[in-house]
Amino acid sequence: MFAEIMAIVIFVAMFIMIVWDRFPKHYVTLICGALASIFVFGIGMRSSEAFLETIAVQGIFKPSFWYAAGESAEQTSGVNWATIIFLWGMMVMVEGMADAGFFDWLCLKIAKLAHYEPTRIFVAFMVLAAVLSMFIDSITVILFLAAVTIRLARTLKFNPIPVIMAEIFCANLGGSATMCGDPPNIIIGTSLGYSFSDFVVNTGVIGAISLVIIIVYFYFTMRGKLQNPNDKVDPSTIDVDIKIDNLREFLISTFIFALAVVLLVTHAMTGLTVAFIGVAIAAVTLIASGRKALKLLKRVDYFTLLFFIGLFIVVGGLEQTGVLVVIANFIAKVSGGNVHVMLAIILWISAIASAFIDNIPFSATMIPVIKSLAATTGLDLSTMAWTLAIGTDIGGSMTPIGASANVVGISTAGKEGYPISWATYCKELVPGTIIVLIVSMISIYVRYL
Amino acid sequence: MGQFIISVGREYGSGGHEIATILAEKFNVPMYDRNMLDQMAERNGIDAEDLHKHEEMKHRGLVRTVRGHSSSVQDTIAELQFNFIRDKAASGESFVVVGRCAENVLRDNPALISIFVRGDEGAKVERVSRLYKLNDLEAKAKMFRHDKKRKAYHNYYSKMKWGDSRGYDFCVNSSLMGVEATAEALYEMLSKFLKEKGQL
Repeated sequence: MFAEIMAIVIFVAMFIMIVWDRFPKHYVTLICGALASIFVFGIGMRSSEAFLETIAVQGIFKPSFWYAAGESAEQTSGVNWATIIFLWGMMVMVEGMADAGFFDWLCLKIAKLAHYEPTRIFVAFMVLAAVLSMFIDSITVILFLAAVTIRLARTLKFNPIPVIMAEIFCANLGGSATMCGDPPNIIIGTSLGYSFSDFVVNTGVIGAISLVIIIVYFYFTMRGKLQNPNDKVDPSTIDVDIKIDNLREFLISTFIFALAVVLLVTHAMTGLTVAFIGVAIAAVTLIASGRKALKLLKRVDYFTLLFFIGLFIVVGGLEQTGVLVVIANFIAKVSGGNVHVMLAIILWISAIASAFIDNIPFSATMIPVIKSLAATTGLDLSTMAWTLAIGTDIGGSMTPIGASANVVGISTAGKEGYPISWATYCKELVPGTIIVLIVSMISIYVRYL
Repeated sequence: MGQFIISVGREYGSGGHEIATILAEKFNVPMYDRNMLDQMAERNGIDAEDLHKHEEMKHRGLVRTVRGHSSSVQDTIAELQFNFIRDKAASGESFVVVGRCAENVLRDNPALISIFVRGDEGAKVERVSRLYKLNDLEAKAKMFRHDKKRKAYHNYYSKMKWGDSRGYDFCVNSSLMGVEATAEALYEMLSKFLKEKGQL
């Protein structure tokens, strides 16, 4: 009983500290992870086996961690090293791409193709945010897209705030469409053995439908706030410099990005795991970057990776002590065995929770819960996995603190003198999030039940 | 003429802002207060009030930070103002700056002279009542509200505490000689010092 209580106390304390945002998040999860190791696995369970199973380092040395013929869960519980290694690899790749000026070039090129017309840029950047976020972390996407939006807004005299808010929303939506688009999806995919294409044909389809609907919705609700008709600038007078400083670096980074996409799309066929793809892409990026390799390595956000390690240990404590099975049984009981209610609970609870707390610890916690639900109720695990992915990915759009992309977008705009308050943000994006969640719920019901 | 930067921290009602204005006029240098946001608002084509309402304020409610980025408007506006102050200082310009944690932002800048202006409660209440046509109770409440906000803001973004003499070069009670005479005395003292240093 002591182990269970300690696992819950440490987990709740970790969540409160994360939401409080007073201390760096990686300190919080690592300290909580250390406490869980001592009090849950050590004093409470007295089980070195449970601890080693949670740390899961030995898994990295198995060939199946790098190459898995057929679909299989790369990691079932504990620290999800596949996710951490994959994220590290993608971070190295993205740093290389940013260094080569890829994102600036792409955003400005698309603005030019939109003939520097604010409404067209608005729609084009929504699509761009969604597509890029399918493969690249949404923080990077928004960092560049918001900066370019502000530059264009000053030149073309339009209001960048609605554009940035729509970009944030679409980046989160795009992230839900693929396995590598948002960290919860990588954790779900690697933990439950789903491939990139599994995500594309399930969450991807729902995401595509939602994207079309949301573009239409934002177009009608926000276009009036974009520009005062008197501020219209003649596009022929626009002189925006779209140049590539180093063509060689640019072409290499584009090639590496394309290679990453191909490897991810085909990983179920090739048997290469996401951990392997992460390491391979990082290696190619570092080799190609030559003397800049060390600089790229230094720029990687290691704090986020440490955050993941601590988080997985704390969640591992809950899992090993059986607390998550109790939660699963509670959901089954509340829903009365009704599949529709059960899926609605998973979708809406995930969405509302992700609007206020980090969706990564939430999804990491919910994976063992849905596994247990599948075992006890007989409901298809994959249906719950897609529901969980959509709930956590989309729900994060609801508030300024729901997802990393929101924070980065709001901060970039604010630092340039375009404040986005909670009221401004929620007024536009809460209805959008609810619309997408309803569309997703209907899609899930129609397709899977 | 070398560069000098005078930062003026102040209690509400102490006349610190007026002292800063007099010093800027006498030294013939620009003064930056909330007007530092006006330039940005004009450049962005937005109402300056949209920025002013979030300035000199500690963030409120739920906030999240990601890789050094904050979701709080107050944090980003504060950062915007700190960058403005840093840029002005880096440009070599001499100026007077009111509040905005300037003495903390420029604490390593050798051109900085930091002042904190306080006042006796009675004198401050009288001044606030006169300027805003309030009764004593209302003036006191307004004063308390503003000082609480300034203190929270300053202590959140600065290393030293608001009004702590160790965080400033000069701390002065404007009620002793009156606002104008205090400004005059500070001017005399600072101009002598700056002349000796060859900065004036």
